[in-house]
Amino acid sequence: MLSNIFRLVKKEVQLEWRQKTALGTIFIYVIGTSFLIYLVFQGNITIPTWIALFWIIALFTTVNAVSKSFVKDANEQFYYLRSIATPLEIIFSKIIYNALLITILSLVIYLVMILFFNENINDKILFLVTIILGSIGFSNLFTLLSAITARTQNFVLLAILGFPIILPLLLLIVKLSGLSDFAIQQKDIYLSLGAIGLLDVITLILSVILFPYIWRD
Amino acid sequence: MKNWWKYVCVILLLYTIVMGFAGPIPPLNILEQSIRNLYFHVPMWFSMMALMLASTIFSIRYLSRQKIEDDIKASACAQVGFVFGILGIITGSLWARVTWGAWWVFQEIKLNGAAAALLVYAAYFILRGSFDDEEKKARFSAVYSIFAFVMFMVLINVIPRISNSSLHPGNGGNPGFNSYDLDSNLRMVFYPAVMGWILLSAWITSLIIRMQKIFRKIHQLDIE
Repeated sequence: MLSNIFRLVKKEVQLEWRQKTALGTIFIYVIGTSFLIYLVFQGNITIPTWIALFWIIALFTTVNAVSKSFVKDANEQFYYLRSIATPLEIIFSKIIYNALLITILSLVIYLVMILFFNENINDKILFLVTIILGSIGFSNLFTLLSAITARTQNFVLLAILGFPIILPLLLLIVKLSGLSDFAIQQKDIYLSLGAIGLLDVITLILSVILFPYIWRD
Repeated sequence: MKNWWKYVCVILLLYTIVMGFAGPIPPLNILEQSIRNLYFHVPMWFSMMALMLASTIFSIRYLSRQKIEDDIKASACAQVGFVFGILGIITGSLWARVTWGAWWVFQEIKLNGAAAALLVYAAYFILRGSFDDEEKKARFSAVYSIFAFVMFMVLINVIPRISNSSLHPGNGGNPGFNSYDLDSNLRMVFYPAVMGWILLSAWITSLIIRMQKIFRKIHQLDIE
């Protein structure tokens, strides 16, 4: 099973690498959005605004990047994939691939935001951990939802479905990001980290349990 | 008497309305007469939660049994839950204006949780509208509603404990109603009110389910 998952992740990476336009689109989207926000805010913002903007850009980028993750597999590939892999392998490989993609995109946003705004988070290691944990959570949730929306022709649907239920995770992430800039008590950091970790586990379990019901004809 | 609970519902709600507007209340600062909203605002949320839970249970049952009947029930619960949620927001907003001074208060995770719940419902209905195939519609919306329910529970139960920003009684260091002002007079009306409103919501839901079933029968679709 593990080797199968690895092979499927590799397949995703190769497919993405082959179609560089799709990858380029999302990178330009990230840079374009960040630049737009830099101009709109006229170059000076406080750290809380910085954090809020960072996660909003990350969320919209996630929706755009993940929305197509099952579209390719909707028709002919669907039957082929079904015959070579179990639903569990599919969902795990998609989640791993999307988590990697979202993490990389978030790092790009981070770099662009540092470049444009002369602001940075104090505790950079903790912020990186936040980015990784947040990306995993985003991936768990949006991968499952994109499997649902891929069957409809409604492309705004992913955002509509995702935004209200990503809320608990997003609020925790923004809180932890704030703490990684300035924390009075170490205890608060551990509490937030634990809560986000727990939420990542919950969303993963839900996705894995529910995916087999979607992965049917 | 087969429909005894409907009679109970009518009697409880009549009692709630009469006692709610005319019954004795304890003297309270700030809240004053607005405490009477306790019999209307809070039960709306309890009813919505009960319906949300029921909708999720029917969704789980649909996924395990694949009977369209469960899907009809799940969606009917969601429809009525949505209406009760809107009523809860309206009554809550009125109450907030009187006691907190604004229709909508930002530093209030419960309000935002309520808005999120309504958004989830709205998304659920749009998702249902996006499918032509009935079986797919039922299956996918069941998956979404289970996921959304768990995340909603996290939102309203875990986040307020961590973010600690709520103006509601019993949160963020505010004393709860039961500690000092939910006195026996209020209790005498509050508990029947909760029962009455939940029964009413169940009643409306059962009517919608029956309507759906009749509709399917007329159009000769299978109910099983």
